[in-house]
Amino acid sequence: MSTRPPAASERPSSFLSDVSSLLGGLRWVFMPLGLLALVAVGVHAAADTLDDRLLWAVDRADAAFDHVVGRWDATAFLVDWVSLAQRTRIARALALAWELSADLLLALPALGYRERAPATGAEAWRAALGQEASPSWRALWRRCLRQPTPMRWIRPLATAAVALAGACAVARLVQGTVYLSWRELMGDGAANVAARGLAVGALGGVLTSLGWRAVLRNLQHADAVCAAESGRRAWTRGLFGCALVVPLAIAAVADGSPVLSFLR
Amino acid sequence: MFLRRSKGLLDFAMAVLCIWAAYHHTPAGALARRAGAWALGVRTSARPLLAYYDGGADSEGPAAVGAPEGALAHPLSDEEALAWGVHLALTGMEPRARERALGAAEALGLTPSLLLDAREGPGTARRLLTLLTADFPGEEARLTAAFAGTAPARYAVERVRAEGQAPTLERLARQLPPGFESASTGAARALALATAFALAWPVPEGTPVTSPFGYRVHPVLGTRKLHTGVDLGVRSGTSVVAVASGVVRRASEDAVNGRVLVVDHGRGVTTAYCHNSELLVRVGERIERGQVIAHSGSTGRSTGPHLHYQLELAAQPVDPLCFRTHVRVAGGATEL
Repeated sequence: MSTRPPAASERPSSFLSDVSSLLGGLRWVFMPLGLLALVAVGVHAAADTLDDRLLWAVDRADAAFDHVVGRWDATAFLVDWVSLAQRTRIARALALAWELSADLLLALPALGYRERAPATGAEAWRAALGQEASPSWRALWRRCLRQPTPMRWIRPLATAAVALAGACAVARLVQGTVYLSWRELMGDGAANVAARGLAVGALGGVLTSLGWRAVLRNLQHADAVCAAESGRRAWTRGLFGCALVVPLAIAAVADGSPVLSFLR
Repeated sequence: MFLRRSKGLLDFAMAVLCIWAAYHHTPAGALARRAGAWALGVRTSARPLLAYYDGGADSEGPAAVGAPEGALAHPLSDEEALAWGVHLALTGMEPRARERALGAAEALGLTPSLLLDAREGPGTARRLLTLLTADFPGEEARLTAAFAGTAPARYAVERVRAEGQAPTLERLARQLPPGFESASTGAARALALATAFALAWPVPEGTPVTSPFGYRVHPVLGTRKLHTGVDLGVRSGTSVVAVASGVVRRASEDAVNGRVLVVDHGRGVTTAYCHNSELLVRVGERIERGQVIAHSGSTGRSTGPHLHYQLELAAQPVDPLCFRTHVRVAGGATEL
């Protein structure tokens, strides 16, 4: 039998773990901001691919408007109201408004992100009564299946799509910045390998650290909003917002998420 | 075990990465930067909010695009058009913004100041582009190399290929990290100018210009207004041809423009054809250079049969005559 006294802690202290636990104590500051930023980057990556389609829509709308107001002398001057050049600016302004609206819908709930340990011991009764402050994946999934609403399904799925696009955008930035700033120091080959490795690391790291939390937080938010309503009102709650984010989510997956390109 | 112990650090690093990306690359980040600059009383480095959607092009006006001041002495080949585009885009840029492009030229053994010279500039730009042709056979990749440097351009081309896309200027610009915005903008301007130089003319060469581009007293309204295109004196029923391949963005009729066509040629270049008697193409239709797209007329707010032809670079109207040679102006006052 060993005569040495037992260690005070099973975890040996090191600089890395000390820094890590120090930063861990500040999670309440940086995690909500990180989630907000990830969703904002993803939303922009999606919105950036939609401006050409918006320009097409603005052209059609302006042509119809000109056709109507041009029928009467009193309103004919309105045909010149929107010039060819202004239409491009209008399309970009619409893309900006769309993006900022989506930010409000998908990114802002991230600020309400709180990390809590599961209810145990003295507080186990909360979980038993389904009164957890932050419901778990399982509880949320059950409610999505039993009481489905557009908000409960679409907002988290849209968040997942833009989080993926956001992670790709961050990885792309990391790869470009690392390669172009390190190539003179390390040489082309080594900088290329380092940039690719860090890009893949950033992609995986962002998704595993922030991606799923952004989806969970949005699911919690949507669930809380829907739970406050009943029946038909719960179903129609947030419908307009859902319609707003669906095209962005599709664009995020279709045009903004070149995941495999980081492995080629 | 390592991951569990360093979880706080990893989460922190990932959050900081995302905040950095959002701060520099989203309009929401630009708003935060503007608010911060306003609160601190300093000048913001954020781009205008709408510039986040232009894919490297810009919308600062014809002066910023660097349109030539007068008509050309002789028609330009494709290579010359690209060289003129580079020269004019460089001269229209801020001194700091063009540092990277001048550095790229110096690295290839050229004298950077010659690129800005009014006489030697187009020739030096052509030599620069020739030196880049072997590594960058595509025009848009070559322009990226001319404005951003060969290494960034090579990296961007490889990334775009890895994404399985064609290397357009917009996609190449998206691959470049912060600090390359000016280079992307310069390349987009050069491409728009080069494309404009290569445009054909919508009606037979020699057709007189009855009203040039610029401010004038409007013949119907009697007020001073910017005439955003040129009026070409043609008889009703004259064939109007597409000046380059593109996609019809608008085909409609109203009381001012009459029967109007707007064609998007890509690369930041759009043309419009107004007052036609008949439109022969529809919205969304792909058209080829030289294809008859309309018959001219006098529909809309017009005093007689003519074609109003308008050219836009980066969504700003510019004088199409600046990109032409030997255009006759009605009245015999000037022979351009």
